Amino acid sequence: MTDDRRPERAAEGQMPGELRPDGGVAPGTRLGAARHAPRVGVFVCHCGINIGGVVRVPELVERVRAIPGIAVATDYQYCCSDPGQQIIRDAIKEHSLDRVVVACCSPTLHETTFRRASADAGLNQYLCEIANIREQCAWVTPDRDEATDKAESIVRMAIARAVNDAPLEPVGVDVNKRALVIGAGIAGIQSALDIANAGYEVVLVEKEPSIGGHMAQLSETFPTLDCSQCILTPRTVEAGRHPNIRLYSYSEVAEVSGYVGNFKVRIRQKPRYVDFDACTGCGLCMEKCPGRSESSFERGLTKQKAIYRLLPQAVPNRPVINADVCIYLQKGKCGVCAKICPTQAIRYDDKEKFVEEEVGAIVMATGYELIDHVKMGNYGIGRVPDVIDGLAFERLLSASGPTQGEVKRPSDGKTPKKVVFVQCAGSRDQEHGMPYCSKICCMYTAKQAILYKHRVHDGEAYVCYIDVRTPGKGFEEFYKRATDEGITYIRGKVSKIFRRGDKTVVWTADTLAGRKVELEADLVVLASAVIANPEGVKLARQLKLQVDQHGFQTEAHPKLRPVETLTGGFFLAGCGQGPKDIPETVAQASAAAAKVLAMFGQKRLFHAPTTASVDEDVCVGCGNCEKTCAYGAVQVDPKRRVAVVNVALCEGCGACAVACPSGAMSHNNFSKKGTYEMVDRA
Amino acid sequence: MTTAVAAKPGEQAEDNPVVETYTYYPGCTLYTKAKSLDRCARLAAEKVGFRLEEMPSWVCCGAIYNTSEDDFAGRIGAQRNIVRASALGDRLVTLCAACHNVLKRAQARLNDPANAVERQRVLDFLDEPYEREVRVLHYLEVLKNDIGWEALARKVVKPLAGLKVASYYGCLMVRPAAVLGFDDPENPQVMDELVRTLGGEPTGFDFKAECCGGYLVVNRPEAARVASARVLDNAKSWGAEAVVTTCPLCQYNLDKLRKPGKAGELPVFYFTQLLGLAVGLPKDELGFDSNAVDPVPLLEKRGLL
Amino acid sequence: MSTSDDGDRLVCQIEELSGQRVADCYQCGCCTAGCPLGDLMEPGPARAIRLLQLGHARELLDSDGIWLCASCMVCGSRCPRGVDYAHIAEACRQIRIRQRFSHAGPETVTAAACEEIPQQAFMAAFRKYSG
Repeated sequence: MTDDRRPERAAEGQMPGELRPDGGVAPGTRLGAARHAPRVGVFVCHCGINIGGVVRVPELVERVRAIPGIAVATDYQYCCSDPGQQIIRDAIKEHSLDRVVVACCSPTLHETTFRRASADAGLNQYLCEIANIREQCAWVTPDRDEATDKAESIVRMAIARAVNDAPLEPVGVDVNKRALVIGAGIAGIQSALDIANAGYEVVLVEKEPSIGGHMAQLSETFPTLDCSQCILTPRTVEAGRHPNIRLYSYSEVAEVSGYVGNFKVRIRQKPRYVDFDACTGCGLCMEKCPGRSESSFERGLTKQKAIYRLLPQAVPNRPVINADVCIYLQKGKCGVCAKICPTQAIRYDDKEKFVEEEVGAIVMATGYELIDHVKMGNYGIGRVPDVIDGLAFERLLSASGPTQGEVKRPSDGKTPKKVVFVQCAGSRDQEHGMPYCSKICCMYTAKQAILYKHRVHDGEAYVCYIDVRTPGKGFEEFYKRATDEGITYIRGKVSKIFRRGDKTVVWTADTLAGRKVELEADLVVLASAVIANPEGVKLARQLKLQVDQHGFQTEAHPKLRPVETLTGGFFLAGCGQGPKDIPETVAQASAAAAKVLAMFGQKRLFHAPTTASVDEDVCVGCGNCEKTCAYGAVQVDPKRRVAVVNVALCEGCGACAVACPSGAMSHNNFSKKGTYEMVDRA
Repeated sequence: MTTAVAAKPGEQAEDNPVVETYTYYPGCTLYTKAKSLDRCARLAAEKVGFRLEEMPSWVCCGAIYNTSEDDFAGRIGAQRNIVRASALGDRLVTLCAACHNVLKRAQARLNDPANAVERQRVLDFLDEPYEREVRVLHYLEVLKNDIGWEALARKVVKPLAGLKVASYYGCLMVRPAAVLGFDDPENPQVMDELVRTLGGEPTGFDFKAECCGGYLVVNRPEAARVASARVLDNAKSWGAEAVVTTCPLCQYNLDKLRKPGKAGELPVFYFTQLLGLAVGLPKDELGFDSNAVDPVPLLEKRGLL
Repeated sequence: MSTSDDGDRLVCQIEELSGQRVADCYQCGCCTAGCPLGDLMEPGPARAIRLLQLGHARELLDSDGIWLCASCMVCGSRCPRGVDYAHIAEACRQIRIRQRFSHAGPETVTAAACEEIPQQAFMAAFRKYSG
């Protein structure tokens, strides 16, 4: 790290809500470690019957009182309540406590509450420790005697730890008030616009040549049937022109270093082979280009030129050349685009470029993909030509799609008179796909069936489903509209899809009638499972963000911190975190922006001081710690041959302290001595 | 890569007189109603460069694998074969899809560490030495993994040029996939690859691994007829002019359960018949006279006879 | 329709013999949909499992459907919840056969069929039908 915004110890200061608060140390408070025997206060919470119904709290308090060095031990129904906190504050003053142990729920819930209460009474907050006797004891130990014994052990350990604690001060760092948004689908665009409109600069990175993501592929949106392009393009245009947004399209985040408030980002710009400034986006090159490739944007329904843009309303409206199929770049012949370009914007010698940006916060908006049906050969996709996925059908319905919105099937271009929609194609299938419900398919299938009926008036539409799930505003009404418009719903999961002459046959069941059903269709549309975009998964893993077993980025708390991550400075928006529809995506994207703005509203950020620290007199500079550190927070100073901890980067995991052969590395308030004493007292 | 290929038995036949020998379990039907499956396999193996050595004193595999958790007796015949084969080597090659399925599953059950008590009971009952774990292989696996398609292609003297073949695997070759580990259970490829190696055109189709009706032919022939007719219809939809299979019962249901003499019916080969034809076995060794739908006109039309 | 101790006991027995848990099934019907004999089988796989979920094992044991299953295992292979109805049907047949019931024995075979059909079919059929 060569950063001039060096972290420093904090004085008193304001805390953002999600970061660990400053101790708020009152002037004149004794901060040095206690030279006399510590005076410990223990406060046992009943948590109603959560703890009190199992652990015999009065007995526990009696036993704790008997421990030497305990100045006060008491209990209360709900220690986290105002009166409960007041008891702690009063006791600190009354008994001149210099250590506090609260035996209650997990420290992830109320450690902050009790540390704040301690600080209010003049105690350094890091001298307050939590003994978790709820999750780790009362909830998992049904026998009352055993639970009481176990609770006593846990409290004894917490006391041993508290006695060995030293007073600490939070680490303060400056905030670089620029944001990076990775992914420019509707989630990333929304986050970027919200942050930019608040007056902060945003770096927006999109891997495709233009922004808009999957929403740009959709025809109409449920349940209102407004045109996706029509509602999206004002946003893409705004994002493309916003003075506070620096857009890197056709680019990828290669590397992120630094820490919350101070990230350095390396962005790889893929070669476009088109001079961005010289090109006017006239499109002549695309008319004449003879190169062809499969179009992933059109879901393989049509070929695209070697020089292409994704859609007519592309932002930025600049084409790129697909080098794999460009005849000039492959064989050195052709060059038609260069000849025809009125502004000489073609650059066959273009190379990938790297740029660096510095930001303080990062929004992950990496989006989704549809599952690859490789393990579902029974659905015939890729083998039977008239089996397509939901996004392909969106392109067939879309006015800007390969058929200009006329529904034509891939095999022979005929208008399908009978379409079967197959729900849960890979969703709710732990054996061949994903065990979860993809959430959006019930509604988009109803929408697609309705739109099909609007386009093909004499067409028949069937939906094969397991359950129709409509928990959203206007969703149940929309489902009713689908059945009102004559769409037939058959309750059964499809088992097999195959060809019979020019027909595509679907084998399903009608579980309500209790029989097997065969449908002979002209076109079959699979509602394929929504999965985390594989490139987003790769990036999240590279950035060491937590992802779940399916690759979705994990929020810091499933209910109360739904857009934050456990890694400081990273926020989540859109389907990279889990399947969701457009309004939910936009809401989450705005929430992520709000969290970024709350951070940018702080003068400084504070970081827990329970980090690693080095005894430089003992360190021999072997570098084990540096190799072990997952956060790049420890480096050996080459001149002095001692390890140096960057406390702003250190997450306090303790791995370096374990790896250190000489015992020079330790963890603040997690000393070896304290740990041994905890074990002894257990 | 080159050394690996050179070590393959197919190569050794050229440079080296040592021919790889596999212990072979034919099963009952191959001795009677599926003679051509067996005969072509043995003769073609010699041409390709390996040998099948029939294991002595084999017993019936049981024809179906009994899935009842407590039915040890239902699996004992198959397991006896495994134990006997273990005296001869660590591989046992099968041809009939049913034998293959039963033996492979019986062997998996025998070797499953979770069933140690059952295994000991079985071995005590059999009272024959179980020398080593035996890998049950299908002849197709030998061709693909031990010989290799490239080496096999060099043995082809009569490429099946222009012959459009749908490869029918049936249930028993691929399911249960976790135990058999044979191929993609929904869209298996190994026979398609074989047909391509022999110079033919695998058409692919949607009913590669759908049931032909199996033993229902014994007392519910109408059910078996419905199931097998669907397989043939789908093969036709994909432009096939012949079907190839590995199972005597599939072959019977597809080939002989149809109304006789119906025009445009597809011949149903054993894969070993096509293999034998391509590696140059004479016509009278190929056993086409046992096929209900005579394949000779088709093969003549394609210039293969 | 009400569950009974007899039904519950039989469901337990079927689960033990088959190694399957009927509670895993969420009644999507994929098994019936893909069954090559799903048109003829009564009850089809999904309804059969539903009977067991509700404790009506006797109704299933007395049905024709369990004898029509040819153990092709396509139902279990495609089941999104990993339930294999072929194992369940097999367990039902075993319970009947162990009560000395014979669905079809060698006496049902004609001499002509004997000449024609591969013997593996007889072996398989009679092991399935009469033990």
